[in-house]
Amino acid sequence: MIYLDNAATTPLDKEAGEIYLNFASNDFFNPSAIYSKSINIFNEIEITKECIAKHLGTNFDNNIIFTASATEANNLAIRGAYRKNFGKMLFSIGEHPSVYNVAMELKKQGANIDFINLQPSGEIDYLDLENKLSNDVSFISVMFCSNETGAINDLKRISDLKNKYCPKAILHSDGVQAFGKLKINVEYFGIDLFTISAHKTFGPKGIGALYVKNKNIINPIIFGGGQEYNLRSGTENVPAILAFKKAILNVGNLKQNYKHVQECCDIFKKEINVTGCKINSSGSPYVLSLSFPGVNGETLVHMMESKNILISRGSACSSKKSGNRILEAMGLSKEDILGSIRISFSKNTTLEETRLAGQILSNCYTELKEKLK
Amino acid sequence: MKKVILLRFGEIYLKGKNKGYFERVLLRNIKTALSNIDCIVNKTSGRYIVSDFDDMDYNNIVSKLTKVFGLTSLSVATEFDTSRNNIENFLANFKTNVKTFRVSVKRADKTFNIASNEYEKILGEIVLNANPNLKVKLKEPELELVVEIRENKKTYVLTESINCAGGMPVGTAGKGLVLLSGGIDSPVSAYMMSKRGLELVALHFHSFPYTSLQAKEKVIKLAKILSNYTGHIQLICCPFTEIQEEIHKHCSPEFMITIMRRIMMRISKIVCDKFNAKAIITGESLAQVASQTLESINVTNEAQTTYPVFRPCIGMDKSEIIDISQKIGTFETSILPYEDCCTVFLPKNPVIKPHLNKVKREENKLDVEILIEQAITKLEITEI
Repeated sequence: MIYLDNAATTPLDKEAGEIYLNFASNDFFNPSAIYSKSINIFNEIEITKECIAKHLGTNFDNNIIFTASATEANNLAIRGAYRKNFGKMLFSIGEHPSVYNVAMELKKQGANIDFINLQPSGEIDYLDLENKLSNDVSFISVMFCSNETGAINDLKRISDLKNKYCPKAILHSDGVQAFGKLKINVEYFGIDLFTISAHKTFGPKGIGALYVKNKNIINPIIFGGGQEYNLRSGTENVPAILAFKKAILNVGNLKQNYKHVQECCDIFKKEINVTGCKINSSGSPYVLSLSFPGVNGETLVHMMESKNILISRGSACSSKKSGNRILEAMGLSKEDILGSIRISFSKNTTLEETRLAGQILSNCYTELKEKLK
Repeated sequence: MKKVILLRFGEIYLKGKNKGYFERVLLRNIKTALSNIDCIVNKTSGRYIVSDFDDMDYNNIVSKLTKVFGLTSLSVATEFDTSRNNIENFLANFKTNVKTFRVSVKRADKTFNIASNEYEKILGEIVLNANPNLKVKLKEPELELVVEIRENKKTYVLTESINCAGGMPVGTAGKGLVLLSGGIDSPVSAYMMSKRGLELVALHFHSFPYTSLQAKEKVIKLAKILSNYTGHIQLICCPFTEIQEEIHKHCSPEFMITIMRRIMMRISKIVCDKFNAKAIITGESLAQVASQTLESINVTNEAQTTYPVFRPCIGMDKSEIIDISQKIGTFETSILPYEDCCTVFLPKNPVIKPHLNKVKREENKLDVEILIEQAITKLEITEI
C-alpha cells in the first residue's frame, strides 16, 4: 500500500504505540489522585506540555491545554473566547470545518461574523483582511497551513495588521497541518491561541491541544472536575498524551523532513505534469491539491485505491459534502473543483513510492478520460 | 400475577385450512425478532403472549414487535389465574388519575358463568369504590379497562393497545427480489412487498470506481434497517461498471439509462432463478423520471417476462413515498449523498418515450449475453 493521505491522519509511531499501551494498562493511574504513582503521571503530563511548548517556540507557563481533538481545541478557542460584548469576529473562508462551522453557529446565535477571502494561491487575501480590520474587531482566526491546499498564511503579517488596527483583538490560528512539519513560533507570530493535533504527526487519535497565551481570555466550554486549569474538565487521556510526546520527539529534524517532502512533492508534480492536470496549491509541500479537468476526482480516488494507493478527495472531514468551499473561494471553476484531489505526504513517504504513485495517477487519468470520451 | 404482552393478528383469520401454517410462520418471526431478548413467547387461542421479560426490556420488545408483519396490535396486560376473587381483588386495588372510564369484559371462557355485561357492572362498581373521583362513561372514556377471560384459565387486564405493522407474516407469500439502488423509493417498495408476506432477496448494482464503496455500505445499511421488518435478507451486489462503460462506448447516449435498466432486468431474472425468487420488486413511480414513463416501463418490462415486476410505489407521489421512508427509518440513510450507479454516465437528454425497436437496435451493438454472464460470475453476497 502507498499511503498519500497523511493530512487526514498518520499511523501511530511504533514507540509511541508502546508507550500508549503501557500507560493504558500498566501505569493506568488517574493523574488527579494523591498517591505517588499518580503524581508521577501528572509530572509526565507536565513534561509533555513543556515539550509541546518548546515546539511551539515558547516556554511552558501553564499555557497548554489538552483536549480530545483539534476540533475540540478549535471550539474551545472560539467559543471559549467569545463574549456577548464582542465586536466583529473575522475568519478566513478557507478554515477547516471545525473552525468554519463554529463561526457559522455563532453567527446563528447573533455574533457579528465576517469572512476573509482567499487569493488564488489559497492564502488569505491580506488586502481584504486589512479592509475588514477596524477598532471594532474582537477576534481573528486564520489557519497556519491549509489542510486542503497546503497554502501557508503569513501569521506574522496578520498579527502586525491586527496590532495596527485592533491591538486588543484575540488572534487564533489552527496549526494542525503545521505542527511537526513547519517551524512554529507563536511568540514571533504574535498568536494568542494555537491549535494542534497529535494524529497528524504520528501521534494517537483522541488528543489535541490548545496553546493559550493568557488563560484569562477564554472560559471553559466543558465543566466538571476542574482539570487543565479548570479550562477543560475530564480525566486526562494519559496514554494519548504521553504517546503524543514520544511522537513529537521522534519526528526528527523539521528542516530535513521538509527538504525530503519537498523532493517528494516535486517528483509527484513532475510525474503528473504530462497529463494536463492543474496544480491548485503552492505552500507546504506536505499537501498538494490537484485538479484533473473532465473527470470526477472521486472516481480517480477509487481507481487509485484499486491499485492500492490511498489518496483523498479534498479533506476527509468534508468529503461527504458536495462542493468545496475553499477551492471555490480560490476561484477554481466547477469542473476543476469536481476533478480535484488531494495528495499529502509525510516524512516517511519514499521517493520511489511517490514516483510510482505519480505515474499511476497519470495513467488512471488518461484511462478514465479515454473511457469517458 | 405477572406483566405480559398480548399480541393480536389480523388477516390470518381469513385463512382457511392453512391457517395453522400462517400462525406457525408468524410465531417463528416473532421469536426471531425477540431472539436477543430474554423472554418467553407462547401461543394461545387467537393470541400470542410474551412473558417473563425484564421491565427494562419492555420498550425494546414493543419496538421490535411493532415491526413484525402479521401482527395488528399489542397490549401490555396483567395476567393471573381466572377466578372472581383474583379479578375483583385486582380491580379493587386499581388506581388511576383519569376522570372517566368503562370496564369491558371479554369472556372467551364460557365456563366462567356470569354474563359479560352483568360482570362489567359489578367490576365497574369495584373500580368506582377504589377511585371515588372517577365517573363511568361508556362512549369514548379516557380509560377503557379490558378484562379478557380466556380459555386457558387465565385472565388478562389491559388498558391500551399499540398498533403494529399489519400485513402478512414474512415468508408466507414466497420470495421476491428487490432492486435496491440506495435511493428513497426502493427501500419503501421492499417494505411494502415484505408487508404482504414476501421474503426478500436484494440486488444492488454498483459501479466502482465511478461510485464509492460508501455507496455500497449505504445499501448494506438500508438492508439492515429493512431487516428489522423483513427478517434475514440476502444482499447481492452486482458489478455494473463494465456494462455501463460498454453502453457508453457503443450506444447512443440518450439510450444509456433505458438499456441499463433492460440489462438490470435480465440480470434480475437470472438472480431470481438462482435464488428461487418469483417476483422482481422495484421502486418505480410513474412519470417520476425519464426512465419511469409508461413507455420506458414498457420497454424495460419487455427485457424479461418470466417473473412479474411489482412496483408498489407506482401510484404514489414522492412526498407519500418519503412519508413511508421516514416512518420505516430508511429516509436518513437514503439521502446520504453517495452517487448510485444510475448517476454515472448520465446523459444530458435521456429518451423519455423510447421505442422498443430503436432500443433493440442500439442494444444489438453490444454483446449483452456475454456482459451479463461476466457480471453474474462476480456477484457478491452479504447476509444481513
